[in-house]
Amino acid sequence: MIPALQHIGFIGRLTFLEAVRQRFFNFLVLLALALIGCAGFFRQFDFGPQELAFTANFGLGSMVFFGSILAVVVTAQLFFSELDNRTALTLLAKPVQRWAFIAGKLLGVAMLMLVFVVLLTTLLGAYLWWRQGQFIALWHLAHLAGSVDTELPESMRVHFDGLAINALLQWLKFVVLGSITMVVASFANTNMYTVAVSFFIYLICQLQYIALEAYQTVDSAVVGSLVWVLSFIFPNFQLYSVGEMLVFTSKNPVPPGAVWAAIGYSVVYIAVFYGLAVFSFLSREI
Amino acid sequence: MSTPAIRIEHLTKDFRLGLRGVKLRAVDDLSFEVADNQVLGLLGPNGSGKSTTMKVILGLLEPTLGKCEIFGMRSDSVAARRLVGYLPESPYFYRFLTGRELVAYYAGICGITRAEKPKRVAEVLELVGLTAAADRRVGTYSKGMLQRIGLAQAIVHDPRLVILDEPTAGVDPIGSQAISELIRELKRRGKTVLLCSHLLAQVEDVCDHLVILNQGRLVAQGPVEELLRREDLCNLAVENFAPAMRAEIEAVLARHGARLRRVDPARVTLDRLFLEKVGTKEQQDKGTA
Repeated sequence: MIPALQHIGFIGRLTFLEAVRQRFFNFLVLLALALIGCAGFFRQFDFGPQELAFTANFGLGSMVFFGSILAVVVTAQLFFSELDNRTALTLLAKPVQRWAFIAGKLLGVAMLMLVFVVLLTTLLGAYLWWRQGQFIALWHLAHLAGSVDTELPESMRVHFDGLAINALLQWLKFVVLGSITMVVASFANTNMYTVAVSFFIYLICQLQYIALEAYQTVDSAVVGSLVWVLSFIFPNFQLYSVGEMLVFTSKNPVPPGAVWAAIGYSVVYIAVFYGLAVFSFLSREI
Repeated sequence: MSTPAIRIEHLTKDFRLGLRGVKLRAVDDLSFEVADNQVLGLLGPNGSGKSTTMKVILGLLEPTLGKCEIFGMRSDSVAARRLVGYLPESPYFYRFLTGRELVAYYAGICGITRAEKPKRVAEVLELVGLTAAADRRVGTYSKGMLQRIGLAQAIVHDPRLVILDEPTAGVDPIGSQAISELIRELKRRGKTVLLCSHLLAQVEDVCDHLVILNQGRLVAQGPVEELLRREDLCNLAVENFAPAMRAEIEAVLARHGARLRRVDPARVTLDRLFLEKVGTKEQQDKGTA
C-alpha cells in the first residue's frame, strides 16, 4: 500500500479509538439513545398512527442536534489534544506528511460520526419497526371487521430504506461540519475559539437559505454577486433536512436524483474544506 | 569523506510575535556539522535556540535563512525523516494504549511491515528494559518509563540518526545511567546521536563532540576532550600520598619550571556514589528477577 495511505489509516484508527474512549462521546451517545428510547413516552398521548411520524421527527432531530455538537467538539478536541500534548510533534517528526495527518484526523472523525449515526438510526429504526407492526396488526383487525378502508394508511408506512438514506446524508453533513471545524482548528490557537467559530459557521450554513432568498430579490448586481459567492463558500445545510420526506415518502417526496446530488455536493465541500485545512496547516509552526 | 549526518549552514530562524509581527530571532547564522556515528551534545541555556535548531533538523520548522541537511537530504523531506528517530522533551503519549501498542503504532507509521512488527517491537522494548511493563497502559507509566517508551518509539525503525531532547529530565540517577548506557549502545551500533540536555555531567560522559549555543549563536564547538582540556594544567593521581611529600614534589616541579597549584583529596562523583550504593538498573533488574 502507498505509505501515505497507510499513514492516514493508522492515524484515522487511532483518532477513532481516542474519540470513542472520550467521556464526551459516550455521554452524548447515551443521551441521544436515551432520548430515542424515551420516544415510547409519546404513546401516552394517543396520537394514533401519527405517533410514527412524531417519533421519527423526534429521533431524527436528536440525531441532528447531538451529532452537530459531537462533530464540532470532538474534531476540535482531537486536533488540539495532538498539539497540546505534543504527540503531533512526535508524529510529524516521523515520515508523515502534514496532509496525511489532517486526512487521518478527518478519517477518525468520519468513522466516529458513522458509528454515532448507525447506532442512533438502528435504534430509531427498530423502534419504528416495532410500533409500525403494532399499528398494522390493529389495522388488520379493524380491516377484517370492515371498519377501515382497504388501503393501508400512508402514516403507517415507514420507509426504512429512506431512513438508511437519511442516515447517509446526516453522516455526510457531520463530516462536512467536521471538515469546517478542521479548517478553523488548522489556524486557531485554542480549542474554545475553534468550537465557538465552528458553531457560528454552522449557524450560517443552517440559515444560509434565508439570506439567499432575501437577497435574491435585491436589484443590485454587486449585492447579488456577493450573495452568489457567499452561497458557494458556506454549504447549505437545509439540503440535508429531508429526513421526514425520506421516511414518509407520501407527504412530500424527495425528487429523484436529489440524494445523489446531495452526496456529490457533500463530497465536493469535504474535499474543498480538507484542502483549505491542509493549506493552512502546512505553514503552521508547531 | 562520508556525508555528515547533519549539516547546518548559516541557519537563521525568526519568529513573528503578536499582531504587529515583531521579529524574534531564535537562531542566528548557525553553522555546524555532525559526522556519522558521532554523539553530539547540543548545549545552551534556556532560550538559546536549541529546541528551534532541533525542530529545523526534524523538518518541523522551516528556516528563515540557510539550510539544513540530514545525510545529504533536505531535513524537511520525508526521505530524510525516515532516517531519524526523535524523543521529545517530557514526552506525552496516547495514554489509552499499552506500551506495546504504542511502539507498534509508531513502527507502522515508520513503514515496518506487519510481519516484522512484533519482533521489532519486542526487540526495542527489551533494549529499553520495558518488556515486563509492555502490556500496561502508558497512562500508568512513571516518568522514567515514559522516557524509555519514548526512546523505544524513537528507535523502533532502526534510524541512522537519533535526536534526544532532554532524555533524562525528571528521571532518577539509575534511569539516567540506563539511558546513558543506551546512548553508548546506539553509538556501538553505528548510530549518530544528537543529545540535548541540561545534565552536563551526562553530556560530558556520553558525548564525543559538543556544540554550545547562546542567544541563538554558536559560541563553541568541537570534540569534548579538546574543549575541556587545559593545556597549561594537568592532574596527577597519587596513591598513598603523605603531606610530607609535598615539599619534595614542589622542589622537583620547580627544577623543571613547573608549579604545584593544588593538592586535593580525590573524590568520586555523586552519581557514581549513588550508583555504587543503590546499584545500576541492570543490577536492580537482576535483583528483582
